[in-house]
Amino acid sequence: MSTERATSTVPSRRSLATVWVAAALASVVLFGVAGRLEGGRDDVDQAKQRVGFLDEGSLPIPAPLVASGLPGPGRPTVVLFLRPDDAAQECREVSRSVAASAALVAVLSGSAACAGVAGVLVDPEGRTAAAYGMRVPADGGPPVGYAVVDDRTMVRYRTLDPHPAANSREIMTVLDAL
Amino acid sequence: MTAAAVRVRGPWRVCGWCVFAILVELGLYASYRGHDARFHWFTHAFVGAAAALAVMTVVVLVGRRPVARPLLWPMLAHVFAMTPDLLFGAGYVHRWWMNLFLGHIRVHFVPGRNWTWLVVYLAALAAYLVAVDRVRPPSVPA
Repeated sequence: MSTERATSTVPSRRSLATVWVAAALASVVLFGVAGRLEGGRDDVDQAKQRVGFLDEGSLPIPAPLVASGLPGPGRPTVVLFLRPDDAAQECREVSRSVAASAALVAVLSGSAACAGVAGVLVDPEGRTAAAYGMRVPADGGPPVGYAVVDDRTMVRYRTLDPHPAANSREIMTVLDAL
Repeated sequence: MTAAAVRVRGPWRVCGWCVFAILVELGLYASYRGHDARFHWFTHAFVGAAAALAVMTVVVLVGRRPVARPLLWPMLAHVFAMTPDLLFGAGYVHRWWMNLFLGHIRVHFVPGRNWTWLVVYLAALAAYLVAVDRVRPPSVPA
């Protein structure tokens, strides 16, 4: 064993205490800052947002119809839940990503353009979102996110997601796992 | 090990492997794209670090000396704990067997969520530091 390896270092007790205090402060500050970055459209319980696995909690459940006979058997369906202010952009971008792999429908909490989807349901009362078991976001407004329905019309995945288009690769990952 | 072989030093000496460990952690944080995914970074960082610190504590008490490169252990445990998230990024959905990675899925759902793991991590860190302090030879000042 070399002299260097044989030489052990023991920090002073004051240094050890400093390490703990510094680690505690850094952790709490970083954790607090990250928490403040969450917005009104996020899930109050972040453990329930974008969980990454199928059949969480009470799933699977039968998928209620949204529009144009969808979700229907034979092909997976992605059901978007959007607010009117950014519906146009989200619909357009998500449809580009998932149209080849699944049918796409949208549930809007108010009237808005939503290109690229097979059907749109305007549901200001939020009954459809409730039927899908979508959680209420932090601001108490309509949920923004999506549900993934398999080819036997069962809801297999659902999550709040303030920007589904930004995470469209995740939607594809879930679709691939059905 | 003789007392003469033990030297006291402060915790702030800059070292390459410390910088490496910190850079890796920053990279892991950045890998969780989206503000809402960072919750998961904290979960697995706290869980991984707590597990590593528990092992480190045992190693210190058995070996009667501080572990080498102490920042690397939590970092490596963090990488192990978040492996399913790396797989998710590569297109593999989470499965329940992935709890083998330090309870990757289950740890998200403990009461108190990440606050619980923060407390566990800080307790594990305290235990490790106390263990390091206990292996100090009597001739070395505290």
